[in-house]
Amino acid sequence: MKYLYVGGMAEVDGEALESIRGRVAAEFALSPREIRLPAPGFAYDPIRGQYASTELLENLVRRCPPDAFKLLAVTECDLFIPVLTFVYGHAQLGGRVALVSLARLRQEFYGLPPNREVFVERALKEALHETGHTFGLVHCADRNCAMALSTNVRQIDSKRAEFCAACAARLPRPARPRE
Amino acid sequence: MKNHWPILVVDDEEVMCESLAAWLREDGYAVDTAASGRAAVDKARQRDYAIYFVDLKMPGGMDGIETMMQVRRLHPEASIIIITAYATVDTAITAMKEGAQEYIVKPCNPEEISLLVNRIIKVKNLQRENTILRKKLSRKYCTHDVISKNARMREILALAAEVASLRSTVLIQGESGTGKELVARAIHNSGDRAQKPFVAVSCAALAETLLESELFGHERGAFTGAMQQKQGKFEMADGGTILLDEIGDISPKLQVDLLRVLQERSFYRVGGSEEVRVDVRVIAATHVNLQQAVAEGRFRDDLFYRLNVIEIRIPPLRERREDIPLLAAHFLERLSHELGKELDGISEGALRLLMDYNWPGNVRELENAVERAMVTCRSRMLSEEDFAFLALNGAAGKALNFPAGMTLQDMEKQLIAATIQRAGGNIKESAAALGIDRSTLYEKIKRYEIPR
Ligand SMILES: [Zn+2]
Ligand SMILES: [Zn+2]
Repeated sequence: MKYLYVGGMAEVDGEALESIRGRVAAEFALSPREIRLPAPGFAYDPIRGQYASTELLENLVRRCPPDAFKLLAVTECDLFIPVLTFVYGHAQLGGRVALVSLARLRQEFYGLPPNREVFVERALKEALHETGHTFGLVHCADRNCAMALSTNVRQIDSKRAEFCAACAARLPRPARPRE
Repeated sequence: MKNHWPILVVDDEEVMCESLAAWLREDGYAVDTAASGRAAVDKARQRDYAIYFVDLKMPGGMDGIETMMQVRRLHPEASIIIITAYATVDTAITAMKEGAQEYIVKPCNPEEISLLVNRIIKVKNLQRENTILRKKLSRKYCTHDVISKNARMREILALAAEVASLRSTVLIQGESGTGKELVARAIHNSGDRAQKPFVAVSCAALAETLLESELFGHERGAFTGAMQQKQGKFEMADGGTILLDEIGDISPKLQVDLLRVLQERSFYRVGGSEEVRVDVRVIAATHVNLQQAVAEGRFRDDLFYRLNVIEIRIPPLRERREDIPLLAAHFLERLSHELGKELDGISEGALRLLMDYNWPGNVRELENAVERAMVTCRSRMLSEEDFAFLALNGAAGKALNFPAGMTLQDMEKQLIAATIQRAGGNIKESAAALGIDRSTLYEKIKRYEIPR
């Protein structure tokens, strides 16, 4: 059995977390499992008021359960790497661990009225995207593909919560059931 | 496509370096990192990166700007992006003036950096496509100045490209003026020695002892007049290619010396006792039939086999007449720049004449003929009259045709004129060829008013 562990780092939106766990596991033909993860305070950078994404990912790699095929962490914290103002997520390319932030996916973040549906859909796309990186996928030129690079929510909204044929062909397929 | 364009991220802070590298890898790029300017320059020496992200502030005496300048020296085409903090934007602007194409102020919006990289890569892709296209176009008929659509010549050029990166010796045989040196240069330029020297030596031009010191150099005091140590052509060509033109003319002693160089890859300077080792690819060229020279005992067979590892025979121009219009047009264009004389082209009649001519002096003779015609030409088009100096000869070169009303004397006049032309004005040779003695020839020249 290949397990996909999905857990929140500190409190995260329950609906988004549940939706991600189910859909991502199904998309990659993995069995979903819950996991308790540490609060991300250790990676907080007081000058930037954000959380160091590289540090969080390194910590997750150490905490990855031995039987985990992949580990996906979800956080409400805003992530950054030193050169960039923020990142939506971060993953080990071709590795086991991925991290996705919900901080910038809500309409409220941009001063707009809340929209649950839009928010959960964005969370799902970014979770698929970061997990896709752990399968060795890099950014896709197809703007509708979940692997397209998004640097703003407009770009997230214009892609679908699924992989294009070219990217899908490079993933293990759920069509073949595993016991 | 993206992994054609490797990126180097240079920063002394590991987290900054690795996180940007990881972010770019997720975007599909092949990314290396370097922890200092010095390490970056070392890496740049080994690999030609498309983009360098270089942090402005780095310790250890080599900051971002110094790194940029050293990388630029190695790869003038490289795109260098200087990464700077708000506090040092002024310095970054200085960097722009020093030749950084771009700088980013950290932290930078992901969209900005993504657009910047995409823009640079788009330009590089376009440049690459252009180069490929240009290469394709020029490859059609022209490879490193060898212009031909003749099938045999195309084969020769393909072979030249194929063997370009080998170190095997090449023997190029062909009549004078067929462009042996151009083919040798084509081999050199398409191989991995292209950036290294190409040294051509004509072995026919020099006496044995001079040629020896020319090729191998000499020590101070090796002979009268050797005031200083001198490098030979083999040393000058180290890492590159040496062309030994007219190899058939070298003396038996030099044949032995050369054999030794080919076998041992080393030699002694004249008057020297220290062995000099070189890595030189040897291309030999000759207009005489070397095999025949071997058969006649004038050329060592062991040297011949050493030289003849790859054999290229360039056909004379008369065996690839389809190239004549192509070459004539090429010379016309080139010479019009050199002579500062703009011409519209070559008339059909003139082209027909050029096609019919026998070209004993091959491509070089054609080039000289075009130049001579251009100098005397009075209109904007090279006409048959401008090539009249060839016409006499050409009539004799092709199968004779006899216009109605032609007299025996007309024919004699044409034959004599053509023979003299072919012998380059040498009366003794012309007389011998015509089977008459010199005084008879002088008499006929006078009677027919044949120009010499
Ligand atoms: Zn895709
Ligand atoms: Zn991504």
